Amino acid sequence: MIHTVSYSFSELTLDRNYLSAMLGFPDGVLPEPFDQYVAEAIQEAESLCEIRGAFCFPEKSEFIAKNSCISVDGIEFGIGKTVAKELRNSTSVALFICTAGEGISRRSRELLAGKNPVLGYILDTLGSMIVETATDQLQKEIMRIALSQGFSITNRYSPGYCKWSVGDQHKLFSFFPPNCCGISLTDSALMHPIKSVSGMIGLGKEVKFREYTCDLCSQVECFHKNYMKRSGIQSAV
Amino acid sequence: MNELLVKLSECIEFGKINMASPYPPQMKGQEGADEITRRALEEGVPPQDILTNGLMPGMERIGVKFRENKVFVPQVLMSAKAMSTAMLHLKPHFLSGAAKQKGTFIIGTVLGDLHDIGKNLVGMMVEGNGYKVIDLGTDVGSEKFIEAVKQNPEAVVGLSALLTTTMVSMEKITKEIKDALPGTLVTIGGAPVNNDFCTKIGADNYSPDPQGVVEYLNSKIA
Repeated sequence: MIHTVSYSFSELTLDRNYLSAMLGFPDGVLPEPFDQYVAEAIQEAESLCEIRGAFCFPEKSEFIAKNSCISVDGIEFGIGKTVAKELRNSTSVALFICTAGEGISRRSRELLAGKNPVLGYILDTLGSMIVETATDQLQKEIMRIALSQGFSITNRYSPGYCKWSVGDQHKLFSFFPPNCCGISLTDSALMHPIKSVSGMIGLGKEVKFREYTCDLCSQVECFHKNYMKRSGIQSAV
Repeated sequence: MNELLVKLSECIEFGKINMASPYPPQMKGQEGADEITRRALEEGVPPQDILTNGLMPGMERIGVKFRENKVFVPQVLMSAKAMSTAMLHLKPHFLSGAAKQKGTFIIGTVLGDLHDIGKNLVGMMVEGNGYKVIDLGTDVGSEKFIEAVKQNPEAVVGLSALLTTTMVSMEKITKEIKDALPGTLVTIGGAPVNNDFCTKIGADNYSPDPQGVVEYLNSKIA
């Protein structure tokens, strides 16, 4: 069974400090005129976004530990050592996809290539934030269902990260109808619209959600990692 | 140096596009890159001087500030916009030969990757530093790069990637460019790549920031 969700822009709580950090201003204070640009971008985004998501709970999940793989309804995902370690106590998984829609990316591209690259850049950044915030909401919905069945959830993990091959997107999308939520895959397994997220969440009685997962990633120059550090949210494991 | 060119370089550095532009706040109501470039040409300042002594120093300063984390992408985009506005006045002079660019830079995001903001930023900075930029776009395979180099044999190639998964593509493209056109210089950049990766795949340069690309080009071409 495929569960679908859609969110209006006003349902999402966007963290302005985080947006400032994404734009490069680490202290959360946007100098003139970028504060006005952000206000303009938020106003535009409201009509540009078509925020939709879908998730499912495949029936049978099985770990194949030696290859750091997980078999979901007979389809093998090569999730890699790092993600396998995080999911290892799961007894089943949820698969999800979510998008902010094509409108915000199209508008951003137009502006970046033409008369207002700054607004285009801010819209692009905002689009990333919108889809991640919407995916947070979708994840809460998965958690609500999991809790009702006595399960906890792990963090979400996506193909293309932590050495999980992006090629597995095709396998992940095979659990959803074609063009579900308006998302399609390129031959190289990238999602279109570009402001989309897909992934897997582990479910089980022995799994934990972690506030800090940057320690899983080897990327050094990352604004998110730096933001978490400045916010005092660091690994306790 | 001509006072107009000093002012022009400040407009580029601080992203003052034209008189109507409210940015930066300390230059509100003043002429911007648009008006000053036009006025410099009207007053007979050679187009080459405008490029070399007006636009390029401003672009270089913003590039250095960006590298040092003193300014961020939105401010660099403001500078790039000021630069491109000024360049509109100079383009006819490039075509007539009255002003010359230093060389040609071919840039693209590698096959399998659709991200282009970093690539665009590098392209703008390189153009602002006096080079002709041929932007092949995103999701570009080796054939397209090779064809562009064949048409511009002295050009340097820049490869951009944002995703770790497309680093493989970067390696393949570098190898195929080098196989087809052995003398071609390839510089790489993007969040997941580094100097070790550059060496491993046989590219000639890795730059963590746009100014690094400019400096590399200056060392090889200019």
